[in-house]
Amino acid sequence: MTIAAIAAFGALSLVLVLLRRSRSESRRLGARLEEALANLQRLEGIFARMVPHELVERVIGGDHATLGQKREVTVLFADLVGFTGLSESLEASVLVRVLNGYFDRMTRAIVEHRGRVSTFLGDGLLALFGAFEPNPWQSDDALHAALAMRGELGAYNRELEAEGLPRLGFGVGVHRGMGVAGLVGSHERLEFAVVGGVVNVAARVQSLTRSCDADILATREVRELADSRFLLRELPPAELRGLSRPVQTFALEGFQGGDA
Amino acid sequence: VSGLQDVEWGECALEPRRDPEIERYVRRELGLVPLVAHYMTSCPWVARSVVIHQYNALLVHTDFRLADLVGIVVSQEGSCRFCYGAQRALLRIQGVSEERIRQLEGDLLDAELDPRERAALDFAKRLARASPLPGRADLEALSRLGFGPAEVRELAFVAASWVYFNRLSTLPALPPERTERLADHWLVRLAAPVLGRLLRSRMRPGRREPLSPEARSGPYGSLVAALDALPAARALRRLLDEAFASPVLSVRAKALVFAVVARGLGCAASEAEASRIAREQGLSEPELDTVLRHLASPVLQPVEAAIVPVARDTIRYRPVEVQRRARGLLDRLSPDEFVEFIGISSLANAVCRLWAVLEARA
Repeated sequence: MTIAAIAAFGALSLVLVLLRRSRSESRRLGARLEEALANLQRLEGIFARMVPHELVERVIGGDHATLGQKREVTVLFADLVGFTGLSESLEASVLVRVLNGYFDRMTRAIVEHRGRVSTFLGDGLLALFGAFEPNPWQSDDALHAALAMRGELGAYNRELEAEGLPRLGFGVGVHRGMGVAGLVGSHERLEFAVVGGVVNVAARVQSLTRSCDADILATREVRELADSRFLLRELPPAELRGLSRPVQTFALEGFQGGDA
Repeated sequence: VSGLQDVEWGECALEPRRDPEIERYVRRELGLVPLVAHYMTSCPWVARSVVIHQYNALLVHTDFRLADLVGIVVSQEGSCRFCYGAQRALLRIQGVSEERIRQLEGDLLDAELDPRERAALDFAKRLARASPLPGRADLEALSRLGFGPAEVRELAFVAASWVYFNRLSTLPALPPERTERLADHWLVRLAAPVLGRLLRSRMRPGRREPLSPEARSGPYGSLVAALDALPAARALRRLLDEAFASPVLSVRAKALVFAVVARGLGCAASEAEASRIAREQGLSEPELDTVLRHLASPVLQPVEAAIVPVARDTIRYRPVEVQRRARGLLDRLSPDEFVEFIGISSLANAVCRLWAVLEARA
């Protein structure tokens, strides 16, 4: 009887211990699941700042096939002038610091005017306006951004000079047109980008700044939809590599108005 | 703990202020005065507008639970920590478990949610995001699941009303911490069964009632008429009338905010109506065209010149960015103008989204 009671008590205790353990195990798993879920949500939020939200959902849903969309976009292409000489004269660590300071300031100017930096290419950068969501004011935004970049570069140059470092100069090309916006890349690495002639023209227009007396050039397509208060000086049409027709460009000299 | 706590949030641009008359009105309608009302008292119609919040006597087709879930998903979509925290607390009070709320936030309920609920929540999310706005295909998808036209209109109204409340709370960066903690407060947990029953006992469904001819006229009359017979139509009429009748900002300034938001969202019907009102207020077609193309014009009054560019930022945003831009208006507007701008831009976002859906149906 006693042995049977002890055995029953032992079995009962064992069941209780197992039950408690399984409960605490399930609580632990629940907490871990919640933590993982919170991390996923955080990641989704961060991802949505780099890629349009609808694409984030489609990627999460496993739909990689239909991730391109035709959009009217304004592309701003900026490149440092004389960077090769600079890279030879500065120490690597100083060069990287100078370059990062430059990119920081340029990005701030672009984001302030509702643009997104799509990619950094060596000493150049490519920014998009209207690629994430339709933006009827993209020409004005891009030109205001370009002017703000000029202002930021001026301020940065004063800092560099105070440190005894060489001044930086840049060339900026701005063009508006249709492009395909989507996730582009290989299976291993995808990035949100706009592809099409609109990007090539912006890059070529940027390279024109080397041969004319202007640091910021915009095409007719940008000027036609831009605020008339932008001071745009007409330049002679120029032949650009890879383009069949000469491109009409305008040097951006300033903005005649209060608020940007 | 709210799932939006990592969202960057700016410093609050408003001070709460009590107004006994407004409080009496809101309490009579809702049984309680939501915190947001105290921040909006310098512009009475904005403070009074919170009575829509719980849909008392407003819904005919949509059950209160679904309306609350729409509140969660739209607030999550809009990253509105204030509304989201408040809505979580409300769900907890109504007996929805923390686990279930978390599942909903994480979109894990695919298998457990009724397909109609799932579709309704997806639709609400798309309406809030507006990138692009829901179109005919979205409405057909709802129709295939058995949603009738009036039911869809009401659902769109519920989602649009959350678009409104999200902006009302986010633009001035109302402090979210209190509402975020509310759901986990021991007192709320303890009193939830009683509070939940009390709250439910006050909630009554609305009744269909044809609109009067007067209600079909006035600003955005065609939109209100499209909600015909639904109690939502009368609520929207009252809100629009009060908003446009308020003397704080000019009617022209309000019409311009509506037109800019409509342009940014690509809602043609809404832009046409806002433009009509602006023209009635003395703005010529070319002048209006310049304002909408460039968000600026020499013909704009100083207050208009300040609010028009910020109106476009209220369409889609990161909270901390739009809060910074909104706070920049404090130097250029009086406190009541600032609150009215918050109210009118929130209303414009709700109305334009709603009209785009009703237009797609037509």
